[in-house]
Amino acid sequence: MKKISVDHLARVEGSGGISVTIDGKVVTDVKFSIFEGPRLVERLTLGKTPEEDVNIVPRICAICSISHKYAAIRAMENALSVKVPSKVVQFRELMHLGEMIESHSLHLYYLALPDYVGFPNAIAMASEYELEVKIALEMKGFGNHIMKTASGRYIHGENPVIGGFGKFPSKEELIWIKNRAIQFMPFVLKTTELFCKLDYPDTPEDDTIYACCNPGQKKYGFAGDEIILSTGEIIEKEDYKNLTNEFLVSHSYAKRSRYKGEPYSVGSLARINNLGERLKGKAGKMYKKYFNHRWEKNPLFNNAAQAIEILYAFERIPKIIDKMLKLPDPPIVKYTKKEGKGTGIVEAPRGLLIHSYEVSDGFVSFTDIITPTAQNAEDIERYCCIAAQKLLNSGEEDKIRDRMELVVRAFDPCISCSAHMAEVKKAPEEDWKTKLDKIMKEGSPIFIGVGNRNRSDDGAGIELALELRKHGIKDILLESEINEREAPWKNRNYRPLVFLDAVDFREKPGKVTLVPIHYIFSNSALSHRLLPFISDEMNYERLKNSFVLGVQPKSIIEGKKISRPVRQALTRVLELIVN
Amino acid sequence: MEKDKNGKLKIGIYELTGCAGDALLILDCEKELVSIFKAANIQSFLMAKSDNIDGELDVALVEGSVTTEKEKEELLDIRKRAKVVVGIGTCACFGGIQAVFLDKKEWEKNFKKVYGDIKMKHVKPVQSKPINAYIEVDYYLPGCPIGKEQFLSTFNRIIRGNPPELYGFPVCVECKWNENDCLLNKDIPCLGPVTRAGCGSICINHNLPCVGCWGPVEDANLTSEFKLLREKGFDYDFIKKKMATFSGTGMADFLGKLEGEKK
Ligand code: SF4
Ligand code: SF4
Repeated sequence: MKKISVDHLARVEGSGGISVTIDGKVVTDVKFSIFEGPRLVERLTLGKTPEEDVNIVPRICAICSISHKYAAIRAMENALSVKVPSKVVQFRELMHLGEMIESHSLHLYYLALPDYVGFPNAIAMASEYELEVKIALEMKGFGNHIMKTASGRYIHGENPVIGGFGKFPSKEELIWIKNRAIQFMPFVLKTTELFCKLDYPDTPEDDTIYACCNPGQKKYGFAGDEIILSTGEIIEKEDYKNLTNEFLVSHSYAKRSRYKGEPYSVGSLARINNLGERLKGKAGKMYKKYFNHRWEKNPLFNNAAQAIEILYAFERIPKIIDKMLKLPDPPIVKYTKKEGKGTGIVEAPRGLLIHSYEVSDGFVSFTDIITPTAQNAEDIERYCCIAAQKLLNSGEEDKIRDRMELVVRAFDPCISCSAHMAEVKKAPEEDWKTKLDKIMKEGSPIFIGVGNRNRSDDGAGIELALELRKHGIKDILLESEINEREAPWKNRNYRPLVFLDAVDFREKPGKVTLVPIHYIFSNSALSHRLLPFISDEMNYERLKNSFVLGVQPKSIIEGKKISRPVRQALTRVLELIVN
Repeated sequence: MEKDKNGKLKIGIYELTGCAGDALLILDCEKELVSIFKAANIQSFLMAKSDNIDGELDVALVEGSVTTEKEKEELLDIRKRAKVVVGIGTCACFGGIQAVFLDKKEWEKNFKKVYGDIKMKHVKPVQSKPINAYIEVDYYLPGCPIGKEQFLSTFNRIIRGNPPELYGFPVCVECKWNENDCLLNKDIPCLGPVTRAGCGSICINHNLPCVGCWGPVEDANLTSEFKLLREKGFDYDFIKKKMATFSGTGMADFLGKLEGEKK
């Protein structure tokens, strides 16, 4: 694939959708796309002063506006060697907790809960859950109040600046916030119990890698200077590209990320998985009471994780305010540096947010912003694929659409795109033909025959490969001819690979299906013995460009010949490729 | 305007390209939200509900600017269905922060730098433009994002069939009401004199200069603001960039002329 220069679109929150295509009994395509138009926000910041950059970037997304501002300020202070006094650090944490409370309670009560109790929206839900909705509104309002106190307005307030704040709140205001946080505790505990106890379906479940900021030794929190992964690895913030490795896909304006070729997840659930052990107080108790292994592999538990984080935030606020009350209001720290490079990372409510800048001669000369939803996009697709395939296997096709909405929404990509649009499409008859045609037109593929010729239909892939060779088609390989070191999937020239194989899709014998190879990996029922072995050796570029052309076998019996329907299918494939 | 069978006006809230801040602000009217839903028949509001209907409307509130062909079509469709269209937020009114590349060539260059040659399947990109570049707009409610008080009073007037009233004066006036010390007197570059009032001079109340997020006020004396900042010793390009950040098409003529004079 062609490399595309480093700047990219930051805004991913906005309208989008998820679609899954089903060919008979197999999911052959899943796309999480963001229809939002391009805003080129990163480019807009070039040539601006660091202060102006901090004005502009929150407009990437209103829902995470404080996190954007916070990340930008941290990056700029890092670049320009600005050290801020303790009171500024405390007040920033307070404003960030305000956003967590606001965003999490909005998500939990407005968006997630109506799904679980069967209403189209929170206002309708109010007819039956009046108290819950009312208190949820109050709780969200309290988060908003903190944000307004800290930033000046509900949204895009300009009070937080490089070097500190334009203005600090009065003692009375701080005490009011503290008391209110304490008053809320009974309802917060109820919220946590409610969402930890919800009955989350076990589809989808699968392992992933979780990534979040490491807030420092043994601490829980939402900002830090390094990234911690569930594998135990630590990545310095400056090396964030080792985690994110971005690339573009043609169905969305948001860039995608993979870590070492694997999708990973960020957000509340990532934080609770990576840092939950560090929680103390009531939040720590809740964690111990409810956390279990299902939280490690089921994205739907993000709702429960958010609820625990609300509790953490409410416990933390009085402590921060006590510290703030003892400290004088410092003036904005002035700086003289005009050059520098800096990266700032924080946890937005929906996950790791990275801002990285270079300032030259007092103006921004490089900007890179990586948002949580961009990082989650690959896992959103993967989990939807797993869920859809599993429901298909158990004959619950009618549940797919709702389940996908639930999964997308659990990732909390942002309110506008989580609120709508999941689509289940039926693949057209003989969809494999159009797809294979496209693969052959776009690049000259290498065909690899896989299987065992001695076991009737299991030999279909080999048989087909040999036939193709007979017809003079070049670039045909057999499983047995592949020498480990020169295996085509290790080759750096990314011509498409098409594996020819008998795959049990539980279809009519002879049905042909063409699927991206990674769908086979995430569908344990389908995986062939050779394929899992290959998966470890493929990088993502390779994976994206590899497919399996599978024929449904009739029977696999030692010593028997290929069955009739399979043979007919092979002829059809042969014809298409040869012509 | 006609009312539905329950005597309520049919209202739709739509988001084009922006940050969803204006829609979020409407959601942030926690206490009033239930009353809004009671007082009007909210037909479509993606951020708040999933049972949305695209039918005839009395009022459409549109956030964001137009940046793809698909959004353009969506906007034309909204106009066809709605009796009254109100642009909400600076993006809808002036094109927003994303509308600063006024020169088409430069925009294409920037698009390429970000996305390379990739062909997007769903949406053909176009340069960011305010909604009045494509449709007739009845009323404007600027702000980045819109202010809560102004939104509620406008909403109230509209559902009663009255045109909204905006402040026709600059932020400076609100700043005086709030008895702030003028920042320009302290040589801090503030855009209060040319920016439409409505926010309550909130930034200046926090000792910070106005960056112009409400967009330009009508008949703003742009030349004198520019001269004043020049006299204070600010660099030509610096002032230009500052004025352009939120004004989108609102100051395009002035800034274009300025460029001409410089040459
Ligand atoms: S006007 Fe401001 S708040 Fe509204 S969508 Fe545009 S950037 Fe967001
Ligand atoms: S003072 Fe200026 S920048 Fe600040 S909110 Fe008001 S209009 Fe926007």
